[in-house]
Amino acid sequence: MSVLSADARREFEIHRYPALIYALVPVLAVVLQAWLPRVLPRFARFDLPLVITVFFALSRRSPIQGSILGGVLGIFEDALTGRPIGINGIAKTLIGYLAATVGILVNVENHAVRLIMTFLLSLVGSATYFFVVRFLLGMSADTNWIAELYKAIGNSVIALVLFPLLDRTKIRD
Amino acid sequence: MESFVVRYRNLLVLLALLVAQILGLAMQVRRANSGQGDGQEVRLIRLWANGIVSPPEKVLHHTGSGVSWIWNNYFDLRHARQENVDLQKTIDRLRLEQAALLEDAKQGQRLQALLNFEQKYIYKTLPAEVIGTSGSEQSRVFTINKGRKDGIDRDMAVITPDGIVGKVRDVFGHTAQVLAINDQSSGAGVIMESTRIRGILRGNAQGRPEIVDVISDQRIKQGDKVLTAGGDQIFPRGLPVGVVDKVVNDPERDGFVDVILKPTAHLDQLDEVLVITATEPQFSQQQQQDIATSEALKGAEAEKQKTSEGMAEKLPGLIDPNLPSDQQPLNDTSNPGFPSKPTQALHPDRFTPANAAPPASVTPNDGQAPPKKPETPKQADQRNPAPQGDKQ
Repeated sequence: MSVLSADARREFEIHRYPALIYALVPVLAVVLQAWLPRVLPRFARFDLPLVITVFFALSRRSPIQGSILGGVLGIFEDALTGRPIGINGIAKTLIGYLAATVGILVNVENHAVRLIMTFLLSLVGSATYFFVVRFLLGMSADTNWIAELYKAIGNSVIALVLFPLLDRTKIRD
Repeated sequence: MESFVVRYRNLLVLLALLVAQILGLAMQVRRANSGQGDGQEVRLIRLWANGIVSPPEKVLHHTGSGVSWIWNNYFDLRHARQENVDLQKTIDRLRLEQAALLEDAKQGQRLQALLNFEQKYIYKTLPAEVIGTSGSEQSRVFTINKGRKDGIDRDMAVITPDGIVGKVRDVFGHTAQVLAINDQSSGAGVIMESTRIRGILRGNAQGRPEIVDVISDQRIKQGDKVLTAGGDQIFPRGLPVGVVDKVVNDPERDGFVDVILKPTAHLDQLDEVLVITATEPQFSQQQQQDIATSEALKGAEAEKQKTSEGMAEKLPGLIDPNLPSDQQPLNDTSNPGFPSKPTQALHPDRFTPANAAPPASVTPNDGQAPPKKPETPKQADQRNPAPQGDKQ
């Protein structure tokens, strides 16, 4: 795993995608996240918008863009629930920032690195979510960490399938 | 200063985003605690999110439904003609039954109104299809394909034939969000059928409906039925909610228990639901005609029954169909007003009821003496002469 300076890596390895991909993929992720549990009830355990946030944050290597994309996707997710808006927003803002920050430092072309990143960031997302729910809002939350571990593994598997597909849409110089 | 902002701009943007969202959360929680609903801004965000997500959800839902429809119809059409005939017969029968039931319901409601009961009835429901979910296990909210333009309104009850499902939380143009009964923020008034213990139903963190703040009671048993109590102004009274699955002690309060339920409606696999859009009587023209026909028929029958009852009152009742044979009024000797059986004759003759010849066998002058002519007083004196001593 090579470690370069942030500016150097950003200059050389920043990925660009068509505007349609930036617009469609996040929306599709939210739509599928809302629709698939109706067909496959267990899909609600996974988090497709989180995977997309990690993908674009890693690819763009911009903490600001990653934070904003994560925040918007999280707020959209919150809007579809009956809960206060901002719970997922805060969690995914943090994930977008962390993914982009780490993406500057490591070589994210490697599939294993992406897998581990998605796994770890998924756990961070769950921890942030429960922190906000329990300590900021004072609501009760089902803190089953085994389930969160499975969720993180599931998200990593989704990332393993999805990232190569999305890589194909990359604009090549 | 400029270099500080440039150097830490990523972190500053992150902090700004986080602080903004935390402040937004605080405002929402404050509004919720003061009993107000979502603010204008929050409602707008929900509206936008729904406007973006619902159309693709509908397309996906209809595509899936269309494929299954084509496949299923191929098999269904094989017996459709015979089924149509059978169903038409069933519809005719049910329409008559429904008319009679509607009339009874009207009568019952009139009587209850007299008794000052404020009970709600389900008079109109709107079927809707579930097209999406919240996408999260922490939130039990789903989207239906009917909205304000279909007559849906906030806080309308959502049910299935099996039991209650939830209530409408947010209404949009062509869609609506439904808060299921197993969500943590839901609430419904319920009553246990056997023990009549009342409580508030809400979802727990695991997504299971439970009755909270119930005083510990040994009578609460597994399998007890739970119904809606009707006091929440959302769900009509008496709808099935679920059965008691287990009773656990309230971790926060001694002497109280939480009653965890197994819902009767399949909350995890909902395809179609019914939204209760009216709890007041709203009969269609056809139903009103049927009711009028039923009332006319009942009127004629009632007239007949009244006439026969009048006749029965005037005639002596010797046989009561509701009494056993040994207690019939005919056998009652204590009442002198009733004719009793003749006593046994000491010397039976031809006039004894059992020995009397049947009328058909009796003919005039069949070997019997001719009827005597009435005697004159002279003939009577000759037949019975007076004693001698009396004349002197």
